[in-house]
Amino acid sequence: MSNKAGIGFRKDFAEEFLSGSVLKPGFLELAPENWMKIGGYWKKQLNRLAEMYPITAHGLSLSIGSPDELDMDFLKNVKYFLEEYNIEIYSEHLSFSKCDNAHLYDLLPIPFREDAVKHVSQRIKQVQDFLGRQITIENVSYYTPVAAEMDEATFITNVVKEAGCKFLLDVNNVFVNAFNHNYDAKTFIANLPLDQVEYIHMAGHTKVSPNLIIDTHGEAIIDPVYELFEWTLERVNQVPVLLERDFNIPEMEEMQSELNNLESIMTKKWETKNVIENRNI
Amino acid sequence: MLLKTETYNQQSNFVKYCRDGKEVAILGTNPERLPHYRRLVFNIIKDTLETTFPISFEYIKTEIWDEMVFNYFSNHKCNDPQVWRMPEEFVDFCKTENYAAKFNLPFLNDLLYFEWLEVELYMMEDVTYPQVNNTTDWLKEKIAVNPEHKIIKLEYPIHLEKPFEAANKKGDYFLLLFREKETGKVQFVNLSVLFTFLIENIVLAEKTLEEIFNDILYIFGINDLEMLRSEVFKFLKDLKTRGFVLGVHC
Repeated sequence: MSNKAGIGFRKDFAEEFLSGSVLKPGFLELAPENWMKIGGYWKKQLNRLAEMYPITAHGLSLSIGSPDELDMDFLKNVKYFLEEYNIEIYSEHLSFSKCDNAHLYDLLPIPFREDAVKHVSQRIKQVQDFLGRQITIENVSYYTPVAAEMDEATFITNVVKEAGCKFLLDVNNVFVNAFNHNYDAKTFIANLPLDQVEYIHMAGHTKVSPNLIIDTHGEAIIDPVYELFEWTLERVNQVPVLLERDFNIPEMEEMQSELNNLESIMTKKWETKNVIENRNI
Repeated sequence: MLLKTETYNQQSNFVKYCRDGKEVAILGTNPERLPHYRRLVFNIIKDTLETTFPISFEYIKTEIWDEMVFNYFSNHKCNDPQVWRMPEEFVDFCKTENYAAKFNLPFLNDLLYFEWLEVELYMMEDVTYPQVNNTTDWLKEKIAVNPEHKIIKLEYPIHLEKPFEAANKKGDYFLLLFREKETGKVQFVNLSVLFTFLIENIVLAEKTLEEIFNDILYIFGINDLEMLRSEVFKFLKDLKTRGFVLGVHC
């Protein structure tokens, strides 16, 4: 699956995936929360899709940064789902979505603090022990820091190192955060645990005010994000890349065109990188 | 726990703010941007409820619907990690808050429940179908039915009429909902009391159809067995065509 560009699966265009007439992703990503413990029509569709495409799972509700206890029943269901569909990559967000026993179903920023690093790392280890596999943790977009005592890159790096997990680098999230919090995106990426990158996300976003971008996944990827992507690929190993598009869905030809753009950049950058590395040998 | 109390407090206050919007001190946050989180989280709840309850959303006045959703969001701690299952908690919340009386929407509890059941049945995990014979001689046999079903009782006929028209027809309404095997679509069938008794007994699979007939004759005080048989067979054949009756148990 590495070196392939995939797309986030949405029910809105399920038939397109099944017909394969226009959209030809290298793999599909789906949120286990929306697909586990279901039956009927969508279970049948999922089974058909799983025969056609490799699948990655990108979770929404694990709430790895929550102060609450891990939900082991939920994890049991995730484990079963991952095994049922032979899913190799299970990623989750470095954020929290549940606190004081209330789910909020969105990605809230964890305080960038040393105790939070230890707390989150311990929980990731617990999840990995239970699932019997490494999980992959994603840098999220955030609109305000909360009680931060360290910078974001240090927080992410320390969590990934201490937990011994893999890293999902969301290039668009870096771009969004760099704009919203006035830092340099390339310097930020250079400080991340790039040797642990197992998966990359790309997406579009929406500028809602002169000084704020929201990570909507509702627009096409813009050129500066492609440029950051190209720069990033020179620094990471070959991994799968995902196009996220959740709202304002365009014509399928346009989506395929974005997938083609991503794959063409991946081929160009990684082939060049391989040639250079081979020459050095 | 490795998390310090102070860090926990910041996260807890952040979540409280997202849910109720009341100003609260959270260290190091940008006050201009906090409302975006509240808006984003609220929209997830709001959109999910509108999608799950399209009829309620269409017929209930916007200001009342918004108040119900806002109160739910602020006061209820959503418990289910699967967001599509969260609306079931909204059904219970509205019942507990007695919104049917408060907003003069007597049909509310039934309508929300009905709409939720439709989603739940549509999405529920597959249930193993029984082994069946396709004989047409049903009388001496135990009838086998589609296991993906629910039988419910409503006070208002919201499945038959528009909500505000149903509000004037309080009574006992029985309903069979089931998921079609091939298409996955949810069908519903309005049931009389007698047919409810019949279906409930068939589902139990403890008695043959003939034994159930005898119970019906006794309980409902019916004298005309032939007419009963004729009506029941007509009803069951229709349910077979629709995919609820499968045949007889092996």
